[in-house]
Amino acid sequence: MSNVLLEIQNLRTYFHMHGYTVRAVDGVDLQVMEGENVGIVGESGCGKSQTAMSIMRLVPDPPGEIIDGDILLRGKSLLKLKEEEMRKVRGNDISMIFQEPMTSLNPVFTVGYQISEGLMLHRDMSKNEAIKESIRLLKMVGISDPEERVKEYPFQLSGGLRQRVMIAMAMACEPAVMIADEPTTALDVSIQAQILRLMRDLQQKKNTATMFITHDLAVIASFTQRVMVMYAGVVVEMASVNDIFKKPLHPYTHGLLTSIPVLGDSKYRDDGSRRLLYTIPGTLPDPKRIIKGCRFTSRCPKVMKKCYEAEPELVFTEKDHKVRCYLYSDTVRETPAYLDVPVRGLSKKQKKQAKKDKIRG
Amino acid sequence: MGNQLLAVRNLKKYFPVKAGPFSGKSLILKAVDGVNMDIMKGETIGLVGESGCGKTTVGRCMLRLYEPDEGRIFIDPEKHTKAINIVEEFDAKRFALEDKIHSIEREIAGPKVLRKEIRSLLKQVHELKLKARQAGRRTDILSMGRDDMSKARKRLQMVFQDPWASLNPMMLVKDIIGEGPKEFGTHKGAALDKWVNELLDKVGLPRAASNRYPHEFSGGQRQRIGIARALSLTPSIIVCDEPVSALDVSIQAQVINLLIELQDDLDLTYIFIAHDLSVVQYVSDRISVMYLGKMVENANAKQLYKNPRHPYTISLMSSVPVADPEHKSEEIILEGDVPSPVSPPPGCTFHPRCRYAIDICRKEIPVLEKDKDGHVIACHNPPND
Ligand SMILES: Nc1ncnc2c1ncn2[C@@H]1O[C@H](COP(=O)(O)OP(=O)(O)OP(=O)(O)O)[C@@H](O)[C@H]1O
Ligand SMILES: Nc1ncnc2c1ncn2[C@@H]1O[C@H](COP(=O)(O)OP(=O)(O)OP(=O)(O)O)[C@@H](O)[C@H]1O
Ligand code: SF4
Ligand code: SF4
Ligand SMILES: [Mg+2]
Ligand SMILES: [Mg+2]
Repeated sequence: MSNVLLEIQNLRTYFHMHGYTVRAVDGVDLQVMEGENVGIVGESGCGKSQTAMSIMRLVPDPPGEIIDGDILLRGKSLLKLKEEEMRKVRGNDISMIFQEPMTSLNPVFTVGYQISEGLMLHRDMSKNEAIKESIRLLKMVGISDPEERVKEYPFQLSGGLRQRVMIAMAMACEPAVMIADEPTTALDVSIQAQILRLMRDLQQKKNTATMFITHDLAVIASFTQRVMVMYAGVVVEMASVNDIFKKPLHPYTHGLLTSIPVLGDSKYRDDGSRRLLYTIPGTLPDPKRIIKGCRFTSRCPKVMKKCYEAEPELVFTEKDHKVRCYLYSDTVRETPAYLDVPVRGLSKKQKKQAKKDKIRG
Repeated sequence: MGNQLLAVRNLKKYFPVKAGPFSGKSLILKAVDGVNMDIMKGETIGLVGESGCGKTTVGRCMLRLYEPDEGRIFIDPEKHTKAINIVEEFDAKRFALEDKIHSIEREIAGPKVLRKEIRSLLKQVHELKLKARQAGRRTDILSMGRDDMSKARKRLQMVFQDPWASLNPMMLVKDIIGEGPKEFGTHKGAALDKWVNELLDKVGLPRAASNRYPHEFSGGQRQRIGIARALSLTPSIIVCDEPVSALDVSIQAQVINLLIELQDDLDLTYIFIAHDLSVVQYVSDRISVMYLGKMVENANAKQLYKNPRHPYTISLMSSVPVADPEHKSEEIILEGDVPSPVSPPPGCTFHPRCRYAIDICRKEIPVLEKDKDGHVIACHNPPND
C-alpha cells in the first residue's frame, strides 16, 4: 500500500424531484490506496450505491446531479472527462459489479453475448476468442456447464448465477479499481468464499483496489482493511476493520454490530421462550428534510441537547479513526462508556420526529 | 406442533437447455431431482445449499408456480391417508413399469416387436398416471383440479427474494395487498380497506402507506409490503425465498423479528430459504441441506450447526464467514469443479469434491437414512466425528 489511487472529495449527489431535493450523498470524502480493500456499510438508502454511481458517472441525470466535489483517479479529475473518455475509464480502469443484476443485465441478450461484447470492445478480441474467454470467465466464477450457460438468457439463471455473471463481466477487464455493490448477497457461503478468493487473486496480480459495498459484516470482517460507515448521506465513522469491530465509536455503528445474529444463536432461549434480535429503533430520516443537527438524533440512545443544534464534524479520535459524534468532540477515549448502558427505546421527542418523518421515499 | 401439514414426495423439476454455443441440440437440466420433505404445522424448515441447487425451484413447485415433472405434494396428509396409500400404490406400479421400459430401451435399440411392447407399456403408464391423479385430487397439490387448487392456493403463499422486482410498480400498495382477497372474494369494499389496514398494522407500516406506490419505500419496507401481501389470505404456509438477503442487518433483524412474531400469533408454518446460515439457523426448527437438486441432510437446527454429518454440510459450515476480523477460518475449500446439473456425476453427485469418497460412491446413489443420533443423511461413508 502506498499511493492514493482514487480520491473522493466532498462529494454531493442530489436528486431534484418535483418540489423537493433528495440529498442522497451529502459531502463524502474518501481516499482509496492502491491494492487496498475499503468496505462501505450503512443502512439501506444511506447513499452507498449513489456514491459508487457518482464515481462511475452513472447517476441517472435527470433527476440526479453531482452538485459539488470532485473524484480523482491517479490525481486526474473524472468529473471533467468527456463522456467518451469516461467510457474508456469504465472499461479499463474502474469496473463495477452492480447491486441489481436483473436491471443491469440486458434481458433480451444471451449471457455470452453480453460478456463477449465487453471483451471485443476493451480487449480487442475476435468474436470467437471472446466467446471462448467468456466461457473461461464463467468457469472461473464457479459456474458449471459454461458452454451451455453462455446461450442462456438472464431469466433462465438462478439469482446467484446472475450475480456471478456480473462478477465475471467486471473481472474481465482486470481493472485498477473494482467497485463491488453487494456482489455476494445472492451467493451461498462456499461460492462467496470462492469469489472473495478470486478478487484477492486479481488484487495480487494487478494490485487492484476494491470498494466493497455490503451489509454482510462478516464479509467486511474477512475481506477489507478499512471500513467507512455511512448514515443518511454522510460518513459517520471511518476506521481500520479491527477498530470498527473491536472499538466502534459511533452509536449507529454500535447498533449495527448488535443487530447481527451469531451462528449458534436460536430464536429460543434456553427456557424455551422467544428471543428476538436487537434492532435499531426508528428509521432513516426523510432524505428530503434538511436536518440541522446530527442526522442520527431521531434514533440515538445517547442523544444530547447539543446534538439538535448543529451537525458534528468528522474528527479524528486517534490516528486513522474518524467519527462524527459529539460524544467524542473533545476527548479521545478507549471505549465509549455508553456501551454498557442498556439500550432504551425512543424518547418522546424522537417519536414525534419519527411521526414527522413518516415513511421515507 | 404435531400434525403434519405437507408431505413432499419424489419431487422433480427438469428444464430444457441448449447444448453449447454452437449447437442447436437440447439437454435436460435437473433442477430438482427427487426431493422428499415432511412439514409439520407451526414449524420453520430452513432450506440451504449451493447457489443453483434448486431451492427456489422447490419453493415455486410447492405453489405450482412451476409444474413439476414428477412427484406428489400432499396437503394435510393425516386427513387423507387412504387416498395417499392408493396414489402411492399406483405410483409404485408405474415406477416399476418405467424401469422396465428403460431397461428394454437400454438393451435393444430398434426391433419393431419391442417398440410395440414399449408402446403398450407406455399406455399402461399413462393410465396409472390418470388413476393416481384421480385418487389424489383432494390432497395432492399437483393433481388438484381448479376448485381444490384455488382452496389450496389460499393456504400457500410466498415471499419473494427481491423486494425491488416482486412488487408491481404501477399498483398502489393497498391494491397489491388487496389483490388476493379481492380475487378470492374474502373481503369486499369497506371490509377490504379495513383488512388492508389491519395487515399494515401487523407488519408495522403506517396506514398512510396504502395510497402510495412501492418505489416510495425502502427495501425493508417493501419486504414488509410483500409479507402483508403473503398474509392477506390468512395462509397456513409461507415459502420465504431469501426474504432478508437484500436487506441491511438492522432491517434484516426487524423483518426476522416480524416473521417470528407473526408465526407465534398466527400459527404459521415457514419454509425459509436463505444462504446466510446464521440467519437460517436462528429462525429454523429443522434444516434441510440440498446439493444439486437432492436433499443430502435433514437435522434439527441446533444439531446441524453443532454436529454436521454429511461431508457437503461439513464444508458448508466451515466456510461460514464470521463478523470478526480476528477470526481464523478453518474453511474447507471444496476441490474440483462445481458439478453440472445437466450431466451430474454418477453415484453420489458430491463424490468428485468429497474427501471421504470411496468406491461405492462413484457407482451408487446414496439414499437418505436416519443415523444413530437422528440425523438423516444421504452418504455411503460419513466421517466419524
Ligand atoms: N433515481 C432516483 N431518484 C430519486 N431518488 C433516488 C434515486 N436513486 C436513489 N435515490 C435516493 O437516494 C438515496 C440513496 O440511495 P442509494 O441507492 O445510494 O442507497 P444505498 O445506500 O445504496 O441503499 P441500499 O443498501 O438499499 O442499496 C435514497 O434515499 C434513494 O431513495
Ligand atoms: N425458468 C428456468 N429455465 C431454465 N432453467 C432454470 C429456470 N429456473 C431455474 N433454472 C435452473 O434450475 C437450477 C436451479 O435453480 P434455482 O433458482 O432453483 O436455484 P437456487 O437454489 O434457488 O439458487 P440461488 O441460491 O442462486 O437462488 C439452476 O441451474 C437454474 O439455472
Ligand atoms: S452526535 Fe448526538 S445524536 Fe448524533 S450520534 Fe452522537 S450522541 Fe447521537
Ligand atoms: S456418499 Fe461418498 S462421495 Fe457422497 S458424500 Fe458420502 S462419502 Fe462423499
Ligand atoms: Mg445500494
Ligand atoms: Mg434462488
